[in-house]
Amino acid sequence: MIRTRGLVKRYGSHAALDGVDLEVPPGSVYGLAGPNGAGKTTLLGILAGLRMATEGEVAVDAAPGKVAVLSDTPRFDPWLTGREVVALALYLSSEHGSMTAIESAARVDEVLGQAGLEEASGRRCGGYSRGMLQRLGIASTLVARPVLILLDEPASALDPQGRREVLDLITTLRGHATVLFSSHILGDVQEVCDTVGILHHGHLLFQGPLRDLLVGRAVPRYELRVRTGADAVVAALSREPWVTSATAAEGGIVHIEVTSLADAELRLMGALAATGASVVSIRPEEVSLERAFLELTS
Amino acid sequence: MSPWRLEFLRLTRTKKWVALAGVYVAFGLIGPLSARYIKEILARVGTDGATFTMPDPTPADGMVQFVSNASQIGTLVVVIVAAGALAFDAIPEMGVFLRTRVSPPWKILVPRVVVSFCAAAGAFLLGTGVAWYETWALLGAPPAVPVLAGASLGVAFIAFVVALTAAVAQRARSVLSTVMTSLVVLIAMPILGLAPAVSRWLPTSLANALADLPAGGTMNDYRPALGVSVVATTLLVWTAFAWAGRREA
Repeated sequence: MIRTRGLVKRYGSHAALDGVDLEVPPGSVYGLAGPNGAGKTTLLGILAGLRMATEGEVAVDAAPGKVAVLSDTPRFDPWLTGREVVALALYLSSEHGSMTAIESAARVDEVLGQAGLEEASGRRCGGYSRGMLQRLGIASTLVARPVLILLDEPASALDPQGRREVLDLITTLRGHATVLFSSHILGDVQEVCDTVGILHHGHLLFQGPLRDLLVGRAVPRYELRVRTGADAVVAALSREPWVTSATAAEGGIVHIEVTSLADAELRLMGALAATGASVVSIRPEEVSLERAFLELTS
Repeated sequence: MSPWRLEFLRLTRTKKWVALAGVYVAFGLIGPLSARYIKEILARVGTDGATFTMPDPTPADGMVQFVSNASQIGTLVVVIVAAGALAFDAIPEMGVFLRTRVSPPWKILVPRVVVSFCAAAGAFLLGTGVAWYETWALLGAPPAVPVLAGASLGVAFIAFVVALTAAVAQRARSVLSTVMTSLVVLIAMPILGLAPAVSRWLPTSLANALADLPAGGTMNDYRPALGVSVVATTLLVWTAFAWAGRREA
């Protein structure tokens, strides 16, 4: 759906993007993760045709009217009602004469309902909350049934409830359109996306299915909690050949990396018993996108 | 919801039409009134023994007073109202909303330029009509053909002002900077016009035609400025369209 080759964008001497080869498969929900200033908004701007690349190739397999963009803090003329904003978005994005007035009104009602804005649709959007504006932005993005949706940090400035609602809305898009979703909140990307790209200082460090990123970075780890003597446990476990590292954290927490889960399952309990420590809990640690991201960017 | 209706709502819901019509109608009422009663006003103000001798007001004076009051404040309001509609990238998120839905970007400008011009020209003609009527009622009828010709040249000047604002808005970063830059250009023109050879070529001189023609001026005096104004307006609109396409959101 989207393909870039050697994409470079410079602002003066600063390269916001430096040789990005992006590949977004059709039908995917692609998460573009990276810290603030990584180049995510610049990349989305180029893909949306809002900015010009300094170098490189961009191929977007969608007609201009079938690409929808939602900025991180959508704003609209405050004297328009929510319904009028969505109706304007539909009018501007549709081919003239492709829908009757009744069909247009029905479609506007449908997306307003999808965004949970039926009751507020007659109010001027100048009085909307931040979360309502974000949902209005999403309704305006979806109304013309785009085949490619570019979302720039759609949930980053929302409260937990607003964030939940926006992520649920994005989840409903799977199968209906290709979604490119940028965020510095890695938990959101991990929850919603099936494919990820890690952008850091303008470089695409990783790109592929989320599963490949997590499995490829999976170092078997355990987190255990002892009542007392965490330092003694660390010292004892560090001497074991199947333990690659052991570190103590606050509250009696000990993080252990092992050579394999099979070794740990066979020997960990015995080793702990030998230390005489009072063990409160033991659990294997799952690999998170955040950890994979930190390993990639460190 | 078409872009044309959007611009109509911008004028009505933000009450910008009230500002436009209010300024021109207010000066249309005040201008002839002050021309008619200027002697009485000065006599009541108190002059500490000084004696003012003034000729009796003529119908042309009613239009002169209207133009002298309305041309500056009216132009200021036209620039402010037009800039609010034309600087659509001033709030980047709104620019993104429009630019990702309308291609090429000059199409965003068409209804904004047309509606801003029509609203400003309508307000100016309304104010002119009020001033004309009141001048007729208080001072006698000014000659119709020169008034109509002067009003037409005033409309041409408003078209130039809107086109200038449209072009500036595609380079400026905010509504305020659009207004300030446009005003600097418009203020610089009369300064250039202090040189008599230059004055008759400047679009700003058209703003004075409604006062000058009923007082005995000739249309020939304004032909150079009208020609320059038509060419400049066309070029400025073309420039605005071109710059709108080149700008990065």
